[in-house]
Amino acid sequence: MRISNYADLEEIRLKAATKILPDKPYIAVGMGTCGIGRGAEVLYDSFQRIINERKLDIILKKTGCFGFCAEEPLVNIYIPGKPLVILHRLAEVDVIPVVSAIQKGLMPFRNVLCRIEDWDFITGKFEFGKGLTEHPLWNEIPFFKWQKKIVLRNCGLIVPDDIEEYIGVGGYFPLYSVLTGKSPQEVIDEVKLSKLRGRGGAGFPTGQKWELMAKVKADQKYVICNADEGDPGAFMNRNEIESDPFMLLEGMTIGAYAMDASKGVVYIRAEYPLAVRRLKGAIEQAKSLGLLGENILGSGFNFDIDIVEGAGAFVCGEETALIKSIEGKAGRPVPRPPYPAVKGLFDYPTNINNVETWCNIPVVMSKGASWFTETGTDKSAGTKVFSLVGKVKNTGLVELPLGSTLETIVFRIGEGSGSQKRVKAVQTGGPSGGCIPVDYMKTPVDYESLNALGAIMGSGGMVVMDQDNCMVDVARYFTEFSNSESCGKCTPCREGLAQTLEIIKKFTSGKAQEEDIKTLEELGQVIKATALCGLGQTAPNPVLTTLRYFRDEYDHHMIEKKCEPGICQDLFTALCENSCPMHMNIPRYLQLLKENKLEDAFESSLRDNPLPSTIGRICHFHCQMKCRREGIDAPVSQGEIHRYISDTVYAKESYRKIYDRLISEKMPPTHKKIAIVGGGPAGLTAAYYLVRLGHDVTIYDSESEAGGILRWGIPKYRLPLDILQREIDFIKELGVKFVMNTCVGKDISLEQLEHDNHVVILAVGAQKDTELQIPGCNLNGVISGMDFLKEIAHEKKPEIGHHVVIVGAGNVAIDAARTALRLGSEVTVVYRRLKADMPANKDEIKEAENEGVNFLFLCNPEEILADANDKVRGVRLMKMACGEVDLSNRRKPVPTGEFFTLDCDNVIMAIGEEVDAEFAKEYGINLKSNGNILVDHFTHETNHPKFYAIGDAITGPATAAEAMGIAKKAAEVIDLKLMDKNRFHKLFREFEYSNEVPLKPEGGNRHYSVKLPLEERIGNFKEISLGYTPAQAYAEAARCLRCDVRTTVKREEE
Amino acid sequence: MENNKVNITVDGREYQVPAGATILEACREIGIQIPSLCYMKDVSHNASCSICVVEVKGAKTLVRSCISTVAEGMDIKTHSTLVDQARKINLELILANHPKDCLICERNGNCELQDLTSIIGIKETPFLKTKTAAKVDDTSLSLLRTPEKCILCGRCVAVCAEVQTVNAINFTGRGLKTKVSTYLDKGLGNVACTNCGQCALVCPTAAITERDESRNVFNEIYNKDKFVVVQTAPAIRVGIGEAMGMEYGALVTGKMVAALRRVGFDKVFDTQFAADLTIMEEGYELIERIKNNGALPMVTSCSPGWIKFIEHFFPKSLDHLSTCKSPQQMFGAVAKTYYAEKLNIDPRKIVVVSIMPCTAKKFECKRPEMKSAFKYWKDKINLNENEEFFDVDYVLTTRELARMFKQSGIDFKNLPEEEFDEPLGISSGAGVIFGATGGVMEAAVRTAYEVLTSKPLPNIDLKAVRGFEGIKEAELDINGMKLKVAVAHTLKNARTLLDQIEEGKSPYAFIEVMTCPGGCLGGGGQSIPTTWEIRQKRADSIYREDSLKPIRKSHENPAIIAIYEEFLEKPLGHHSHELLHTSYVERGIF
Repeated sequence: MRISNYADLEEIRLKAATKILPDKPYIAVGMGTCGIGRGAEVLYDSFQRIINERKLDIILKKTGCFGFCAEEPLVNIYIPGKPLVILHRLAEVDVIPVVSAIQKGLMPFRNVLCRIEDWDFITGKFEFGKGLTEHPLWNEIPFFKWQKKIVLRNCGLIVPDDIEEYIGVGGYFPLYSVLTGKSPQEVIDEVKLSKLRGRGGAGFPTGQKWELMAKVKADQKYVICNADEGDPGAFMNRNEIESDPFMLLEGMTIGAYAMDASKGVVYIRAEYPLAVRRLKGAIEQAKSLGLLGENILGSGFNFDIDIVEGAGAFVCGEETALIKSIEGKAGRPVPRPPYPAVKGLFDYPTNINNVETWCNIPVVMSKGASWFTETGTDKSAGTKVFSLVGKVKNTGLVELPLGSTLETIVFRIGEGSGSQKRVKAVQTGGPSGGCIPVDYMKTPVDYESLNALGAIMGSGGMVVMDQDNCMVDVARYFTEFSNSESCGKCTPCREGLAQTLEIIKKFTSGKAQEEDIKTLEELGQVIKATALCGLGQTAPNPVLTTLRYFRDEYDHHMIEKKCEPGICQDLFTALCENSCPMHMNIPRYLQLLKENKLEDAFESSLRDNPLPSTIGRICHFHCQMKCRREGIDAPVSQGEIHRYISDTVYAKESYRKIYDRLISEKMPPTHKKIAIVGGGPAGLTAAYYLVRLGHDVTIYDSESEAGGILRWGIPKYRLPLDILQREIDFIKELGVKFVMNTCVGKDISLEQLEHDNHVVILAVGAQKDTELQIPGCNLNGVISGMDFLKEIAHEKKPEIGHHVVIVGAGNVAIDAARTALRLGSEVTVVYRRLKADMPANKDEIKEAENEGVNFLFLCNPEEILADANDKVRGVRLMKMACGEVDLSNRRKPVPTGEFFTLDCDNVIMAIGEEVDAEFAKEYGINLKSNGNILVDHFTHETNHPKFYAIGDAITGPATAAEAMGIAKKAAEVIDLKLMDKNRFHKLFREFEYSNEVPLKPEGGNRHYSVKLPLEERIGNFKEISLGYTPAQAYAEAARCLRCDVRTTVKREEE
Repeated sequence: MENNKVNITVDGREYQVPAGATILEACREIGIQIPSLCYMKDVSHNASCSICVVEVKGAKTLVRSCISTVAEGMDIKTHSTLVDQARKINLELILANHPKDCLICERNGNCELQDLTSIIGIKETPFLKTKTAAKVDDTSLSLLRTPEKCILCGRCVAVCAEVQTVNAINFTGRGLKTKVSTYLDKGLGNVACTNCGQCALVCPTAAITERDESRNVFNEIYNKDKFVVVQTAPAIRVGIGEAMGMEYGALVTGKMVAALRRVGFDKVFDTQFAADLTIMEEGYELIERIKNNGALPMVTSCSPGWIKFIEHFFPKSLDHLSTCKSPQQMFGAVAKTYYAEKLNIDPRKIVVVSIMPCTAKKFECKRPEMKSAFKYWKDKINLNENEEFFDVDYVLTTRELARMFKQSGIDFKNLPEEEFDEPLGISSGAGVIFGATGGVMEAAVRTAYEVLTSKPLPNIDLKAVRGFEGIKEAELDINGMKLKVAVAHTLKNARTLLDQIEEGKSPYAFIEVMTCPGGCLGGGGQSIPTTWEIRQKRADSIYREDSLKPIRKSHENPAIIAIYEEFLEKPLGHHSHELLHTSYVERGIF
């Protein structure tokens, strides 16, 4: 049948409305490409089979995608009278329970994502039903809460293969009203008033574009829909077509009417087979109903649409190249003017708009411009669909008003990285866009604001990156993409991008020089300014924005030849080595152990790390955070193994030979005097390397013994004193002099040190407790965490009461808690966030729990209460609630206003430590605003000649390994500076070991060392972890996959 | 303000320039040379090189001056930090993949890239080579392509597609793999290329050049056993002077003859003699066709690019081609028969060298049909098949000849003028104008009119067919018979006339086609640069030479009269048929 008047259209609408709200249940499976990829097809077949087998009167539908990729496959269940319920992550096993429930007239209650009571299709409203309040409403869950579905209004809710469903929700009524009631100019005026701008990314005002074309008189005019969506990570247009193809056809038809075009072309990627198929079907259906073709809706207006499938050249998204491609020519841009509106497809006037732009048209016509401009900002009206992908928890298509912030998209909708990793940047606009760092998340997303940051809106791809992404590599990736997609016509794009890529590769392979940065910037500017088309003009954006916001990463690659996230393969041996702040060659000592070369393994560790046995116990084990074995089961316990190796060698006394070797290798005296202020892990490490290089090193420390936090902060049950002492003694044996009980600034002046030495290294750590400024924090019974631990280390027994409350969540808090427990107190740790957000070592937290420490999460101390004697009697805490994910990727604690009091005798404050470097400041050394000593990141020099600073003193509180890593690097640069010769590498040596890669994973599951039984821990400070047995150590070492072994396969270049 | 002028500001000064002009042309008009590379007036506006960029106030990016037209009030900066940097970097980028072996390059000293490098002031090439160039294409007998030297300016592609409508070459590949290539990379010699050489003429570098055979010619000259004769096409005398440092279009006939003798050629002859011969044969052929209802219009066959073009693209119309060989081939055939007999020289010892403004002639002389002299002698002196020789042995272009002159240490400008050798050096004014578009037509009319009417031509200058209009036509009244004739130059215009023929709508009896813009004076083997202004100067010289010639009609050339009396007997006679006429082959387009 052909629709030729309003009555016909209305008849179909009424008929189809019963498809949207049928009188029997339906199951609608989301069958976009995304859903199919997650198993929707199998699910659909299963539903069909069960329904058929049971001969049920249940309608089964294939809908498009509702947009929540992370939760696919999505299935909508409708039972008359009840709200529509969306099930998520449905698997085949769920099919029978779901069908059975529906069969009984019950709504399934598992896998429910949300419910929809009523839906505004904009062209029509539907009420499904009320109730089922145990499930959240769709717009109550974070992913949808901030969205506004205009373009995606029908997606996932109607059957895209059925034109009647589209008409059922009010589709084609806008076209009818346009053809029967509006002149072309009126249509254009309405679009102009709506302030709709091109959604392909450039943001040219759509109405203005239409008007230009309408003014040109010609025998033939074309409208084109650009569906050549080629950005990596962008799939808005695919879903728009797959889930609601008629919306596009209607938009194009209205546009064609306004611009007097009789032919339309949808230029779509051949890589979108489902979209092509649905669109073809849609065109057929629209034609058969007289909504496309001759005499549309009886109005006398003729318009037909053809589909041209593009072969996948990215440049064909550029309008002139796209036109050439439709014409059957090579997709190369041609200079504009003439603009397509004057001379376009086959030299006829042509209008090109993006899929999403066209999709907005029926709505603008239906609701009017003023309704449309209510959404969005003054300059950018309406909504924009983004594909939110990458390191983000909630991936999917999100549509929200223009002007919403990036924070809303990434943290409110996306809920952050979804892991412990921090979100670092967002890449908008694909290879044409830029990387926006997390600090700019408050930026509203509109055309102008993004441009100002050096990025672009683009078609709406939004790739979230976390700390594991190397921004130099990101720039390389996108440049490689643009370079290979360059059409090759103009010099700057063809040659410039190739050169850019070459230079970036110098960074990723550690060969870059300072001038390369300048060249990159200049090249980028010139390419932007002189490339012929949009592809080239925007291609440098990823490089320029990463240079602008992540210059430090380029510097790391260039100066230190390191890629911190462990992406640039040439710059590390293995991921564990790369994450280790001291860059220990971990695979090497693992392999040496496997080969039973225990002494070699020990020597290898010792050369890399002066405190192998100590650090093997208390390290944060950065190495385990990046281990390829994790992809199979669990990371290798590299740290436990190096503890095992050193403990075993110490026990066998064979360490002596190696100690002697290192002593004998000491380089001849350089007569350079170096003073190190602070005998903690950083100071000891610097001293260890510098003394071996032949320098005359003296450590000054205010305490009676060296070791710093290792001795005074870490409880003995984690690090027995003899272990630490042995390793410090070796440093002494190497020739480092220790001047103890000497507080620099009091007992000896910096002036004196400067006078007596060639170099002074400040390694004073971060020892001052951060004070929590709440009422009562000065009461008797409030103790600082660091002071508490130090007193214990000095073997004093601090007076603590029956119940101790610890405020804080770091390692000091946990150490204090477990120490207090050992002293016989009942201990409660209070923290304002969640357990998962605690910065302390996960193992330590677990052990604390095992030992009986109480934890109160989401509690924020408001006041410490005093008894009559001004002594602590309790803490007043506020209950917190979980807010949205904040920029730190954790849920923000939100005060609930509900208080309670926790009675206690002592409060130990352990909310963090600060650097106390007032003495340095008084000497004219610059500090940062947070009190840390300011140094050059790579040379560790302060503003004061001769003075260097290392460790926590420059970073604030960090792990011992991190402080030692800095010290090791500093030792290298200080030696180079003093001697003007690169000698540091001479402190290391090669070892012989096999480089065979295990062909299949070996060693079994992860091994855990034996722990002291709980009952044996009470009232004492005996070491808890007893270390690996030999069998465990060997098996654990065998688990290493040897990802440090690289084989190079030479590939013949064309 | 005048209607057709707009006011613009360039580098802070105000100017009035013609409306509709590009920024680049407008600036050149007011004396500001914006450096450019891919742009070539009337040939290429590919806008790809990004050298001619300027700053235009209000524009988001830099603007390509070669394709952007001036607008009222436009504020242009032809120099600024960004403009200078853009030009410098873009040129450095081009140089990154261009060999910097200028010293040993054929275009050393006559290279636009070299000049530009000096103009922009490039002192170092900071960028690395990023691509491996495609192999040298030496499949063509006429042209040599060295992709390594190609800077992808697109001029050759544009001239081949738009001026010649041949499309033998185009860009293939994407990004860094972009190159100029032929259908399926088969090489110019294996595709529908007409060998016209316009690509080589417009190439700013040495990426496309003629196949240089000058060294072989030297070797023949040095060989005492050989009798090396040279013929020079009409257009050489107006083109070679330029290559020897003289002004554009300098008429240097006498100096050229003198120089050729000094290089060591045994005899210096003139293709114009053969041109006169062509007129005789072609004139009679036309008369014959008119009288006997032969295929009309008859189209001239002097231009070998054109011959190959019709063989490739319009094989159905081959019978419209005159069967006359081109003058160079007639010369070769005559030199190795008539002249050899006259001097009693063994034809095997004669080496015929042609100096042509044309690269397609290199292909033409190697066509298998072009062995008439061999066939003539074969039975007479019992030649073996393996002694087979071509009528013309070598074709050198104007550029190769200039190289020979330079290598021979000839002080060209100061040479005394000398005369061609007799008898094959004697020519009429009609022979001279063969070098310009319309010349063959005009020469033919001078003879045909008088042969047909036996009356002297009232006005010897047929101005209607002179000049550079694409297609020119004239109507002749010969004894009351009205004959429409047409002249086309460039293959694009030839295509228009051929389309008419194939549609059966051609109103003409006789058509002259020259492959190259302006005729042979703009040939693909001429001196570089060749622009419309330069072509005009060369044409002026040609017509001046014609007007100065004592004899201006081919049939009045005493040497022509003599050859018919002594050897050929009559036009279209037996010997003519054997030696001066040829046949054509159908060639596909793949």
